[in-house]
Amino acid sequence: MFEARAQLASPVRNPRMATVVGRLLALAFLICFGTGLYSHFLQEPLPWMRFPTRPAGLYQFTQGTHILAGIACFPLLFAKLYVVFPQLFQYPPVKSFANFLERASIALFVGASLVEITIGLLNTYQWYPFPFPFRQVHFALSFVIIGSLLVHIGVKLPLIARHWRAAPAPAPEERHPVDTRSVPVIAATPTETSSDGLPRTGGITGRVLSYIDATPALPARTSRRGFLATVALGVTAVVGLTAGQTVAPLDGLNVFGPRKKGVGQQGVPVNRTSAQAKVGTAALATDWVLTVAHGSTERSFSRAELAALPQTAVDLPIACVEGWSQMASWRGVRLRDLVDQVGASPESDFRMISLEQRGGFKQTEMGREYVRDPLTLVALELNGEILDLEHGYPARLIAPGRPGVLQTKWLSRIEAIDA
Amino acid sequence: MTTTTPATSGGEPTASTPAVSQRMRIVRGVFIALGLLGLAWGGFVLFDTVALGRLPGVVLWIGGAIVLHDAVLSPVVFGLGVLTRRAGHRLAGTVIVTVQAAIVLGSLMTLLVLPEIVAQRLGPKNPTVLPLDYAANLGLFWLVLLLLSLAVSVWFYARTRRANQRPSRRQS
Repeated sequence: MFEARAQLASPVRNPRMATVVGRLLALAFLICFGTGLYSHFLQEPLPWMRFPTRPAGLYQFTQGTHILAGIACFPLLFAKLYVVFPQLFQYPPVKSFANFLERASIALFVGASLVEITIGLLNTYQWYPFPFPFRQVHFALSFVIIGSLLVHIGVKLPLIARHWRAAPAPAPEERHPVDTRSVPVIAATPTETSSDGLPRTGGITGRVLSYIDATPALPARTSRRGFLATVALGVTAVVGLTAGQTVAPLDGLNVFGPRKKGVGQQGVPVNRTSAQAKVGTAALATDWVLTVAHGSTERSFSRAELAALPQTAVDLPIACVEGWSQMASWRGVRLRDLVDQVGASPESDFRMISLEQRGGFKQTEMGREYVRDPLTLVALELNGEILDLEHGYPARLIAPGRPGVLQTKWLSRIEAIDA
Repeated sequence: MTTTTPATSGGEPTASTPAVSQRMRIVRGVFIALGLLGLAWGGFVLFDTVALGRLPGVVLWIGGAIVLHDAVLSPVVFGLGVLTRRAGHRLAGTVIVTVQAAIVLGSLMTLLVLPEIVAQRLGPKNPTVLPLDYAANLGLFWLVLLLLSLAVSVWFYARTRRANQRPSRRQS
């Protein structure tokens, strides 16, 4: 084990580097956790919760950030694991019971983190090859990860504190000759090292070991700088080449994003199709009406009646929980005006019911702050055309700062909750 | 042994450091207590929301991730490091690091995009999901990496040569 650790020694594998990469990774984890919780509570609010409706692109921003920080976790987590890899071969493997618990928590931390970002990535591809439900496990593991992160920070705190700042640069005479580049790095020749006191020099293991030992080391500074540059480039590449699916100015660089701006009916991507939702017949029926109810007061509107009401045009993004977003122009009736026709109070929350037969979001709830917002529409038109069936024809909801799954398509009924 | 530079001897976690102050002990206690709370809550949520029959799958994936990283990914990375240093031992360190960086970046992107290509082959649920030619873009990404690392390597190589040809003032 000691041998293994010596073989793995490298100028980048030190506590300072672990601190530098670790805090970036911790930051990315915390951003993912915070934005993830926000998205979770938007979809499943506790009874007392109210949310900001401005800026209108708030959810576009938080969820876009969630996905981008999540993808940045890949290079950062790999880098962190690379730096601390020799710790795996600690000898003796377990020093004490406390040490055993610490190692177990780190194993859980690493495993859960890898699974969390992997299933998150696969979810953006809408591919579910894992034998468990995505949403519930992604949510539960986030607490496991943040919990073990806190334990990990607690355990390593003295070490982190010591290496939070770089050690002051040593004076030239104190520095290792290799580090100052005053001595060219000379590769030790195989003949020198093969007799270097290694316990095993024969057999396959011995030959592999001496082959590895005879490999020239890189100058420490080059190695460290190269490592940091690689991590920075890795984060830049994975973020930069996918961010265009939500950050408009980067659209041109979007070569790996699972969605592309402007690709879809009427220039807007689609998540759930009419075929998946099995709404085609009901949505295209000529006798479709939208029923608005508040207590015992009910009114039904045909599409022509809705179109005859005062129309409002708004520019709002559709922002998906999977991280993509698309700005669009919507036209329709203000929800506020519609529910006022059945005598809704400003304190009423509403339930939106879709024509969808099944699916987790066929019924959603909307807090009063969104219902009263002047930007919240029952939209009839998208980007200057009659709403496409895939975008929720005959009528859909569009509100500022909400996840796409709550922008209910193929509306059938809007009813006040507890009225 | 060829490696072990002083940088690596920076400090093992030394629990016996005498300067562990009272405050540090309290802060550590708070972190660990909060962390255990988070772990417990995560475990509860998992049991509460995921059907019991699905839990072995979760455990299997977490265990599998650890094995995949520790037993497959890390040794491959280690081997690549040795091989690149071996293959380029007459070249300047900067050139070797450039080549290593290109391999790492290409592999990282491949790791993320390969499942995307597979998902695309399996057939997305609608044509607006995975609409790009990811395989071609990945090939292009590798090509750009190759050209860029080549250019940077040549630049480093030329710079090292120039530096070596100048009469040195620092070397003995």
